[in-house]
Parts: sequence; C-alpha cells; structure tokens
Amino acid sequence: MKAIDLKSILNFSAFRPEPDDPSAVWEKRFPDEKTTFLGIGRAKITWREISSALPHVPLDSAQGEIKETLPQVADAIKAQPGKEWCSVSLNSRYVISLETNLSRRPGSEDLLKTNPRAIIGSRYEKGKSYAVTHNPETNSSILLSFEDDFLKKIEALFKEVGLRIGRLCCGTYVLLRHALSTVNTAKGTDAPVSTFFIVCCEGTVCALVQDQDRWVELRSRTDVYEDDLTPIADLLAPFQSRLAPEIGITLIGDEPLQGLPERLATVFPNRSINDLSEPGLLTDLMVQN
Amino acid sequence: MQITKPQIDDFKTDRKDIMHPLPVILRLVPLLFYCSIGVTLILGSIFFIQSRIAEANKNAHIEQTASLTSQTEETLKERTALEAKIKKANDVQAWVSSSRPIQPLLVDIARSIGPKSSILDLRLERVPESPAQIKLALRLATDSTKQLDLTLESINRMNFRTFSPVQALGHGELDYRATLVRQELREKAETP
Repeated sequence: MKAIDLKSILNFSAFRPEPDDPSAVWEKRFPDEKTTFLGIGRAKITWREISSALPHVPLDSAQGEIKETLPQVADAIKAQPGKEWCSVSLNSRYVISLETNLSRRPGSEDLLKTNPRAIIGSRYEKGKSYAVTHNPETNSSILLSFEDDFLKKIEALFKEVGLRIGRLCCGTYVLLRHALSTVNTAKGTDAPVSTFFIVCCEGTVCALVQDQDRWVELRSRTDVYEDDLTPIADLLAPFQSRLAPEIGITLIGDEPLQGLPERLATVFPNRSINDLSEPGLLTDLMVQN
Repeated sequence: MQITKPQIDDFKTDRKDIMHPLPVILRLVPLLFYCSIGVTLILGSIFFIQSRIAEANKNAHIEQTASLTSQTEETLKERTALEAKIKKANDVQAWVSSSRPIQPLLVDIARSIGPKSSILDLRLERVPESPAQIKLALRLATDSTKQLDLTLESINRMNFRTFSPVQALGHGELDYRATLVRQELREKAETP
C-alpha cells in the first residue's frame, strides 16, 4: 500500500468515487465541491457553476470556435479555484440515428463501449464511439455516435487549458432520454403513447416521432439556431403533414427558449404541447445521474 | 411502454486505474484510527497531568522527610546535650555530696592563712584504694614555715593527722604534700 492510498483512506476520499469515475453519480463524486457545467455548441460555449449549496446561477456564454474561446472560458472558470472539474455537454459533430435489430443481449450496453461491433454489427464504423437506447416494445433503437478523434481533440483541448473533464456526454441525447423516460412510464402495451419529441440544446434540434410506442422517424441537426428560432420552425414544419392528427408535442430544452412553444403552436396548430423545459434542466440531469 | 431513467453515457476516455470506492463499512477503519488518536491524546494528557501531580507529591514528601530528618537530628543533638548536662549535673551533685565531709577542713585551712600569706594552689584528693586517706597538696606564697605550722594546727583541730609530709621552701613559695587521716577513723582502726 502506497502513502497516497493511506492518505485517501484517512481523509475518506477512498470511500467516495473518483472524480472521473463514469459509473458514479456526479453528486457523489463531488459532494461538497464546486464544479462547472459546460455546454459546447459549434460556435458557442455556455457554462455555469455547479454547487449543491447554491441554486442555479445564470449561464455565462461565449461566442466563437471552441478552440479560440475555451482558453478565455477556462481563465474565467479558474479565477475561482476548485472548479476545474467539468461536466461537459457536447452538442456538435455527433450523429443520432434510428436503427433496427441491434443486439439486446444482457450486458450489451457495457459491451458497446468495449466492442461496439458485436452490438451494432455491419453499421459499426471504425473510430467511433456509440451509445444506444432500445425501444422495449419494438426492435428499433436510437443510436448516438461520436468520432473518437473529435472526442480526443476535445479532451486534449481541455487538458491544454487546465480544465479536467469528469463527464463528457451529448446534451441533446441526455435530454431525449429524459423526455422518453418521462413520457413512457406505463409498463406493457396497454397504454401506448404517441407523441412528437422535440429536443433543443445548444443550437441543436432533434425530433423523434413516436406513434403507438413505435419510433417512426428521427431527425437530428446540429447548429440549427442561435437567437432566432425560425430555423427550428423551418426544420420541423415538414413533420406536420406526416404526423397523425392526435399526436401531441413533447418539447424539451436545456433551458426554456422564450417564444418557442408559441412558435411551435403556429407550425403545429391544434396540437397539445407538453413543455418539459426547465431552467438548468440539463445541468440537473447531468448532476443527478 | 416503459423506459427507465438511464445512466448518462459518458464518452470521456476512461483511465485504466480508476478505483471503485471502498465499502462503507470500511469507514470504521479511519474512524477507529481517529478515535484511537483522540483516546491516546486524552489518556496521554490525563497521565501527564497525573504524573506531574505525583511528581509534585513525591517532591513534597521528600522535602517533608528531609525536614523531619533534620528535626530528628536536632532533637537528638539536643537530647545528647541535655544528657551531657544531666551527667555533668549528676557529677557535680556527686562531687558536692562526696566532698561535704571535707568542706569544713577546707574552710579551716582557708581561715588559717594569715594576712602576709596566700594560697597559690590547694588540692585534696581521696585515695581510691583507701577512701579514708586524703592526699593534701598545698602551695603557699610565704617566706617562712610559720604559716604552714598555723595551717597544720588548724588541720589537727579538725581531727586530721598528717602522714608522710613532704615540704619544700624556696623563692617565696612553700610546697607541702602529705596524707591526711581522720583521727577517729585512725583510732577506730587501731582499737582492736
């Protein structure tokens, strides 16, 4: 046993998960420490302090390419010591797609990290990392993929500016899964759910049509909007003709977008809108899970 | 359909040596360690204070013992001095008691000294082997033996007879030595 192990036992840190242990909940990794939430879009970085003692502080943001803006953002974050551990929501250069007949054998989600080819089969592309969400009632699955080179580049960039990544995930995918688990709560097929999921996060938009528990269509675009919401309406407008009349809309965003529900009401007239967006929702999800 | 709340998929490159947290029950190990340190400190403090108190008590007892020892020594010295005084007093008492029979003789000898003479030295010693005999050693400051005759007369009046007299006169001093025997005692001794 090394001295550092002994020290970690005596200061009780050995009984807490390590800061970069992906299997542990963020709150347990940093019970009393301040950390930072970072949302990264193609041309925008947003960040806020995560603290269990404080309510959500307003998001700070910086416009520009990540390579250029991250050093300034890092300086602002490091101005207050102890916040260098970051939970990063990456909303750029990812692909979310709807797939069928993916392997669902036990342990497949863990295997996806170590041997994705065994799960994805012929759709596997070398040099990519994957995450998957299965529809328990059908053979369809939502597949998220990132290029490994891009992820490594982001990690190197953070290391270069002195920030430490405790979690690196796709905010849009996290919000989509949260919306799916919030809406689909009844076991079995007795009460099938039909809804049109719209996820907005850091300029990205993801739309999923669920009809009678079946995932019918998924469309995901990055860098769709900044301040103007018109590109969102333009992207989603074609769905109006394809949606069944009784299907409502489930809207979720990392932060509430002012005017978006009204805008969607004009694009999708006579459809109910269930807005799950809350201030700091993505931050909460990334801290609590 | 039910989709359970999943864990967040993390795309960060995992470290190979990530350690999972130790079981909660093992928190007892550092807790016991800190408790033992606390108990050690408390007991150490108590023992330290007690040892200081015991040391102070020991020093007080040592000082008290030394004081009592010196008092005992002083008392012993006083006792020895007192015993010496008692012995001296007893000796004086014994001497006074034993010299009482010859005190009138001394007074008569002193009274027999005329105005032109004086006693330089006078000794009367009992002979241990024969307590009835008294050794007389008299030194007079005088020019003639007349004073000695007067003195011997007064000795005879006290019923003492002189035997083996030795007399020496010179330089204004008369040295006379003789053995005195009380007349009644001599007669008793001679009467069968």
